[in-house]
Amino acid sequence: MHPKVTYQKGPKGSFPLEGGDRMSDQSIAARMKNTASSRRVDHLAKAVFLAAALISASFIFLIAGIVLFRGFIPFLSDNGGLGRVDLFHFLTADVWLIGQTFVSNLYGVGYLILSTLFITTLSLLISFPVGVLTALFIAKVAPKPLAKVLRTVIETLASIPSIVFGLFGAGVILKLVYDFSMAIGYQSKGGNSILATVLVLALMTIPTITSISEVAIRSVDTTLEHGSLALGASKTQTNFKVILAAAKSGIFTAAILGVGRSLGEATAVSLVAGGRRSGVSFDLLDTTGTLTTMMLEGLKETTGLDYDIRFSVGLVLMVVILITNLSLNAIKRRVGAVHVKA
Amino acid sequence: MKKALLAFVLLFTAVSLIACGTSATTTTEPFDGNMTINVYTRDTTSGTRAGFMAGIGFAAAETDDSVLVDGFIIKDNTGIMTAMTIDEYGIGYISLSTVNNTIKALYYDGVAPTEANVMNDTYGLKRPFMWMLRAEGDYPSQDVEDIVNAFVAFLGTSDAGDIINNNGAIALPSTVTWDSIKSQYPISLEDNSDVTVRFGGSDSIQKVAQALTAAFVPKCGNFVAEHDHTGSGDAYKRTNDPAIKDTSVGKDVGFASRFFKTTESVLEAQRGQLAWDAIVAIVHLSNPLSDVTAADLKAIYDGTFTKWSDLDAE
Repeated sequence: MHPKVTYQKGPKGSFPLEGGDRMSDQSIAARMKNTASSRRVDHLAKAVFLAAALISASFIFLIAGIVLFRGFIPFLSDNGGLGRVDLFHFLTADVWLIGQTFVSNLYGVGYLILSTLFITTLSLLISFPVGVLTALFIAKVAPKPLAKVLRTVIETLASIPSIVFGLFGAGVILKLVYDFSMAIGYQSKGGNSILATVLVLALMTIPTITSISEVAIRSVDTTLEHGSLALGASKTQTNFKVILAAAKSGIFTAAILGVGRSLGEATAVSLVAGGRRSGVSFDLLDTTGTLTTMMLEGLKETTGLDYDIRFSVGLVLMVVILITNLSLNAIKRRVGAVHVKA
Repeated sequence: MKKALLAFVLLFTAVSLIACGTSATTTTEPFDGNMTINVYTRDTTSGTRAGFMAGIGFAAAETDDSVLVDGFIIKDNTGIMTAMTIDEYGIGYISLSTVNNTIKALYYDGVAPTEANVMNDTYGLKRPFMWMLRAEGDYPSQDVEDIVNAFVAFLGTSDAGDIINNNGAIALPSTVTWDSIKSQYPISLEDNSDVTVRFGGSDSIQKVAQALTAAFVPKCGNFVAEHDHTGSGDAYKRTNDPAIKDTSVGKDVGFASRFFKTTESVLEAQRGQLAWDAIVAIVHLSNPLSDVTAADLKAIYDGTFTKWSDLDAE
């Protein structure tokens, strides 16, 4: 608690002083001096914060600027004699590259955009319900000690690097998907498939969705909950119809962050996707590819246009993420918020 | 109620952990030759892919995915290795240096894929890594020539051999160390930070060549190593072709990932081999296949053979 402080009117022009006694002129002067120096510290701190903010903000512009600049090069220059890449073909084609690498300029990402969105949607279909229900369980249903343990588990899961999820995917999920497809009498491509990709992405996004939803659920005003219970609603009815409804804005934010993680994931996905080079496949057990895996594959060994074009793919990915986020935020505003404590 | 819930959750966790353990043991079913061959490949930027496709007589597929069989799967070296531990009906290829006993390495034309068989030149699916120099006295300066000669001597040492082996190729055997011969190359004791040596030729060797120069530069007065790798054909052209060697793309050392042709003739002292690059076709351990030919592999990769039984019919 704050110490109790009484204020007394001081000499004209001064500010209220602590304590009941009138202070001597010297001590007032000393205090004024202190204030002046602490104001200087304030100014200094303000400048440091501003500089930090400017640096972090300028990196965003720097990165976006460089990707923009380099991403446009293949469409504007003649790429060392290979000729300009046709933007329309690039955005709509269903083959990554027609012809030989380092010789052809017929790159295309149309099918990758569709596969990326398809995979993200499917992974959200798994991670969203699981994540939100886990959050509800931790926040409202689980006994305190269990909730504490689960919360730690989820937070740990959220901090696991994507390459670890990728190794788990390549070592365990591929095998599971392969065995599963063999069991149903379908020969998969060694488990490299949309299904494996979706499972890995779902595993990666569940902790994000859970921890953010849990915060949203916990900040729902308890009077709403009590009111619902007092009106005779059961615990379950209250949880689903009142609490989840009241927390929907925060839960939607969780979904947006989950989608962001799915769209941008490269490492883990590239280990289980199979590197599809043409055509969109909606067959869950067939190989697939995303914008990010295409950027990553061969990146370390390639040169020339085959390298530059990866910046263009990155540009397309940034635009896809931007459009997705804007539309999800628009939906979120329409869904609206009900009585969620700040 | 809460205690019951806690107990339930603990029980559930325990059961799912046990389930993980049991699902790892798989039932081994007999190999079914009517299954489709799952074809695994490296991506078009890979030097291993170029070496493999050229080796099996399918050079068109070195940098072009469209000539490959439909439904191929792209993975990196490790990815293909792990895939072959899972996919009983898959086939892939990896660098010989990464072969281990979790997969089945196939004999090529009846010869086992071992380092010994690469060295005695009986294992066929391989290519040599060669170097070529400019003619004596035809360098930008005497310093460059001295450094190049020191570099070639370095290539024959076990120091260079370790670097070559660490980069996936197989070095020729050597017992000489750089420390024991460096006194013969006084240039290595001078400060060469203002001397630039130009390396070029095969892009498949670029990684190995860069690793070699990175190790050699500090041993030889910190000269500047400039790498511009454009293809094996340029190894001769840019060091010895009178029309090109003195232009801006001229090189002091050229590398080729094949033997030099008769049209690329230079003096014996101006060329040599630094390593072998051997590639191995691999399958799942349960696959009864143990020996393939170049024609088999080409037929698999171009889609002529789509089922494992197609190989038996041959």
